[in-house]
Order: sequence, then C-alpha cells, then structure tokens
Amino acid sequence: MPNPNNTTFMPHWASILGVVAIMLGVFLTAVHGNEVMKQVVITNNMPADGVMPEPDCPEEELEEEGISVAECEYLIQHVRGIALSAPDWFPSAQITLSAIGTVLAFGSIIIGGALVNYTPWASKAALVVFGGLAAIDLLQFAVVVNTGPTLRDVYLGGILLWFILHLMLVAGALAGRHTEAEAQ
Amino acid sequence: MQRQGFNRTAVTLHWLLAVSIFFLFISSWWMMGLPLPSRELQFRAFPFQLHKNIGITLVIVVFMLLYVRLRHRPAPPDSTDMTPWMNVTAIAAHVAVYVLILAVCVTGYLSSAHTRWDTVYWWTIEFPRIAAPSEELNEFWGEIHIWVAWALLGIIAVHVSGAIYHAFRNDGIVRRMMRW
Repeated sequence: MPNPNNTTFMPHWASILGVVAIMLGVFLTAVHGNEVMKQVVITNNMPADGVMPEPDCPEEELEEEGISVAECEYLIQHVRGIALSAPDWFPSAQITLSAIGTVLAFGSIIIGGALVNYTPWASKAALVVFGGLAAIDLLQFAVVVNTGPTLRDVYLGGILLWFILHLMLVAGALAGRHTEAEAQ
Repeated sequence: MQRQGFNRTAVTLHWLLAVSIFFLFISSWWMMGLPLPSRELQFRAFPFQLHKNIGITLVIVVFMLLYVRLRHRPAPPDSTDMTPWMNVTAIAAHVAVYVLILAVCVTGYLSSAHTRWDTVYWWTIEFPRIAAPSEELNEFWGEIHIWVAWALLGIIAVHVSGAIYHAFRNDGIVRRMMRW
C-alpha cells in the first residue's frame, strides 16, 4: 500500500497548487451555486406586471433585522433595480454559466486532491478544469458587460478577480507540467 | 496496520461539509438583503427554507463524520516537525470547528422555531412545532446564531491557514484528508 505521507515523489508545486485549487474550489462552488439561486429566486418572485407593491415594514420586523424604515424600503427598490437592469436573456445566461461553473468548481476540489496526491493524470486534468473556469469567467464578463451600469457594478469586479485567480492556477499547472517534462 | 490517511467516506463528508458551510455563509449574506416578506413579496421564502434544510442536514453530516473518524482512526502522521503549540492549536481548532458547527445549526433552528414560519425539511417532512412564536426568543437565538457563525468563520480561517501551511511544507499532513 502506498504511503501517503511519503513525500519523496510528491513535488512541492503539486502540493501547493492542489491545496489552493481546493480552497478556491470550495469557495467558488458556493459562489456559483448562490448565483444560480439568486437568478431563480429573483426571476420567480418578481410581480408579473413588474410593479413592486408598497413596502411592508412592520416595526417588530425592523427591530429584529436591525434596519430602519428607509432601509426596508430600499431592499424592495434594490431588487427592483436589479430586475429592471437585467435584459430578458440575462437570468438564463447567468444560470447556465453559473451551473457549469458550479460543476467545474467542484471538479477543481477533486483535481486539487489529485494534485496533492500527485496522481499521473492530475496536471493535465488541472489544465482543463482551471482553463474551463477561466473561460466561464470570460463568458460571464462578456454577458455582464452587455447589460448596464447597475449589473456591471454588482458583478464585474468579482468576475475579474476570479479570472485573474484562475489564470494564475492555469499558469501554475502549465509550469508544473513543464517541470514534469524536464524531470523525465 | 492502521491506514495512513482518513478513509474515503470521511474525506467525502469533510469536503461536503466545507462546500455547504461556505454556501450557507454566502447565501445568507445575500438573502438578508432581500425584501422583508409580505403577502405580495415572497423573495425570502425559498432561500430561507433552503438555508434551514442544509443547516439541519449539516447536523446529520457532522455526526456521520465524527462517527467515521472515531470508528476508523488513521495512524498518526509520520511528520514530527510540528511543535507542541502547533499540535495543541490543531486539536483545539478541530474540536472548536465541530462544536461551533453544531452550535450554529442548533441556535439557527431555535431561532427559526420561534417564528411564525414552519420548517418543512426539504419541502417534504414537516417538523413539529417545538415552541410558540415569540419575537423576543427569535431575536435572542438569532443574535447568538449570528455571533456563533462569525466565530465559526474565524476558526475556519485558522483551520484553512493550517492546511495551507502544511501544503507549503509538503509534509503529508494535508494529504491525509485528500485521499480520493
């Protein structure tokens, strides 16, 4: 039985890249999963005529939430603003990309584990999954850029950060593969 | 001979727990920014019920993980370069993570149990009411729920930092929880 604590054939780059991929994968699975829920909830709960009802802000609820009447009213306007600034195609595009992103991010956790264990297929699979995640970021970037200022403000900064992180993971996997090739 | 790492069930449960906890944090920050529920606006209904479903499920998952970990204890790590304070911190952080996860789930349930909303577990199993609606107790348990959740986030940061430290050291510790 192989000893998993034996680090003789376990390169440092694979150990570090693997753990970073797992940590980011756990976080990103949650982020993409939440995005799917956001779009489904907002789309399904908007009044059919698009007109929001008068705010209902009972005092005991405000106290429980720790918000003022103005904030309570703003919560309704905020959702309305998000819904108004989303073109018809936006929720389905976001749901599709985020659903694929959720699967790939979960894949990143598995790939991370494979890298830490330095399985033979790990570095090649890492390139595919990290590249896929970077592609999802680019597509989401393109989708959001084609909406309006409200959604750009909400999404673009986060997407850009994830894209940079995924590019770093791709670069790490590439460098690892080159190191492997040199060692052979 | 004892196996070197945790078994596959423990590894799977551990990562399932990790993803679920991060989802609960991120989704809760978002759902608290949704409009308060009213007759016409029900934005919060689905996310809150999902939050409760996952939270209750986490209690089951934590007990399963504890059972598997205690039943199939792996051999102690070969690495001996951990200082005593690191060992103590690691053990304390692990115990704290388990205790805080359970505390967050229980306080969340107690807070929810004092609202007028029923709990229908995964939209199929209706939980019996354990208390009458009470604004005061809902707020009381809700406050504790939030503070314990912040504490959990803090201790998770310690746990994750430790994992990353061992990954940089490449000492085989992290590999024990990553055996696919």
